[in-house]
Amino acid sequence: MQVVVTVVTFRDIFQNEAEKKSRYSEDYRKLSAQITLDKQDMAGLGVKDGQNVLVKNDVGSVVVAVKASEDDSHPGLAFMVNSPWSNQLVRDDVCETNIPGFKGISAQVSPSGESVTQISELFQRMKAQGA
Amino acid sequence: MAVCTGCSLLCEDIELTLKTGAISQVKNLCRKGHGHFQALFTERIVPKIDGQEVSVDQAITKAVDILRNAKHPLLYGWSNSALEAQRVGIDLGKKLGATIDDTSSFCQGILMELVLTGKLPTCTLDDVRNFADTSVFWGADPSNSHPRLLSRFAYYPRGSKRQKSYEEERNCLVVDVRKSATAKLCSNYFRVPPGGDADFIASVIDVLDGKIPKYGDKKRMIDLGTILRKTEYGVIFPGVGLVYALQDKIELLKTLVAKLNEITTFKVVPMVEHYNMRGFNQLLLDDSGSINRVSFHSGQVTHGPENSIMAAAKICDAALVIGSDPLSSLPFGTAKSLAGVSLIAIDPRRSLTTDAAQVVIPSAMYGLEAGGSAIRMDGVRIEFEPIVKSDLLSDEQILARIKEEI
Amino acid sequence: MVGAMEIYKLLPTDACKECGYSSCMALAVALLNREKKLEDCPALLNPKYADKFKKLKELLAPLEKASETGLIIHPEKCFGCGNCVVACPVNVAAEPTRCGIGLGPQGDRVILAVEDGVVKCMNVKECRRFGPNKVMCNACTVTCPSKAIEFV
Repeated sequence: MQVVVTVVTFRDIFQNEAEKKSRYSEDYRKLSAQITLDKQDMAGLGVKDGQNVLVKNDVGSVVVAVKASEDDSHPGLAFMVNSPWSNQLVRDDVCETNIPGFKGISAQVSPSGESVTQISELFQRMKAQGA
Repeated sequence: MAVCTGCSLLCEDIELTLKTGAISQVKNLCRKGHGHFQALFTERIVPKIDGQEVSVDQAITKAVDILRNAKHPLLYGWSNSALEAQRVGIDLGKKLGATIDDTSSFCQGILMELVLTGKLPTCTLDDVRNFADTSVFWGADPSNSHPRLLSRFAYYPRGSKRQKSYEEERNCLVVDVRKSATAKLCSNYFRVPPGGDADFIASVIDVLDGKIPKYGDKKRMIDLGTILRKTEYGVIFPGVGLVYALQDKIELLKTLVAKLNEITTFKVVPMVEHYNMRGFNQLLLDDSGSINRVSFHSGQVTHGPENSIMAAAKICDAALVIGSDPLSSLPFGTAKSLAGVSLIAIDPRRSLTTDAAQVVIPSAMYGLEAGGSAIRMDGVRIEFEPIVKSDLLSDEQILARIKEEI
Repeated sequence: MVGAMEIYKLLPTDACKECGYSSCMALAVALLNREKKLEDCPALLNPKYADKFKKLKELLAPLEKASETGLIIHPEKCFGCGNCVVACPVNVAAEPTRCGIGLGPQGDRVILAVEDGVVKCMNVKECRRFGPNKVMCNACTVTCPSKAIEFV
């Protein structure tokens, strides 16, 4: 099972507060590694609030927790708070203005049995491929 | 009284009680600012070279060594440093023949350039409070990003010409892809699909011209046209949402603002995130003619997307990152490029960037441990004093020492 | 939040008037306004209503946390934005040159102030919702971005 979504990133004051306290905290991970999905998309995937999903595209992939959207219906549109997790999916080679596409990231979402990606794992990926 | 450097509102009415190892009973700080002040006590770092703790002097000497031997050094960050540090940083860039860029390069830069070069009319936040009857938050959610913007300036306070404020005299419009916290508070919310902002602008111009709009709900668009026409003093606050949606079509916003100014008064104040991004943009503009993405290579001043952090990260052989965590905030590709070069990180606190850095130099937190000045999001200069004693060097002092040793 | 109707449905609805009101609906409103306690309804103490009594206790529990004006603050939801501080008419009257123009208060005569990143309530008796001549002012709740302030 899989749905294709457009991910739009946003800012969240609670996640920002958690970041100021510690980028390595459990709070920061919980508030960052999360994707807000429309109920219709959640039904399509057979996932419930709090379950984990794999979000991937040709740039990268992360396992994050699902949060049920409280907004009016928006199937095909998903939201992730701006963080190293969402940045795993952002292209950096898009247009001549050289501004990356933080808003409007195309990605596939599927249910996942794996645990949420840790920040240490994200860091290792940067180091490994940067070497 | 203290100044909060937690965002570009630089709130000046912060009162606090200091005890050893704690800041308590802080009055008037928002949740975000409170987190920023508490950051004084968490994830602080020590000077390091290749993961080993060293003295500050050794770390600075190593940083000098790396920069001196680099063919294409990159200096990046800047939006969380005081003006005094930014001044030294630009001079260091010249001395090194380096590429210099700041966080505006991947957010508000193209918009800030139009504002600072006078191509978009702007005003101060005090003008907003005193005169504005319509505020438009476009691709921005200040309740989360600039928590006190609505209460201090844009919607709820009384102003000299707006004594009845939000109840009778002010409109707050939100244009966004998601029904944000601010959208729930505003008087009128307009939902746009991702990337639909250009069409939305075209529709607003249509209704202002008395034509039937092509996109969006016709009745609501006509109502919007009526609100805009009746406005005496309007302000558009574009957020990164609008900048990302428009990209190279940012001219459309200029066209809309020009059209609005044929009818009434409309200003633009970009929603700058970090407390002194605008300060850096202004300094570099005065110095080099460009607000960001400048190269001083071989004594020549050049400007362009090839000097942006995204491009420069891929070709630089050494990078000095100051007061920023690009490994967290930039796309994966850029982050991994930076993680692979000789990296010098100057920061008060631990981050993915300091973790990846070859040289780590701890700095004092501006506004808390070091004084200086900064340019608020609307161009007003704000001075601040340190509120706690610290032996840590400020960004300005660290950069001055690096510059001197080179 | 709890409504009078929800409370009414759990009352005995026998209109015995022993609580001093002429109808159970009137008692429901009084319970909501915290002018009466559940124990003021003798019929409800009858074991056959034990279930309903328990449910009512749970239903009314949040009201006990409310200030005398019915104001409830959820600090964990608060952004500390100060919208309520600036919108509150009592705050503005107390400090027109501070709260009136968007700044935090300096004195101690205000009702709402932001401390340690979240809103705090004081001087509740000054709130326009207090006392016999109360006004149903809701300036602090309608300006809240996160429903961190509520009235019961």
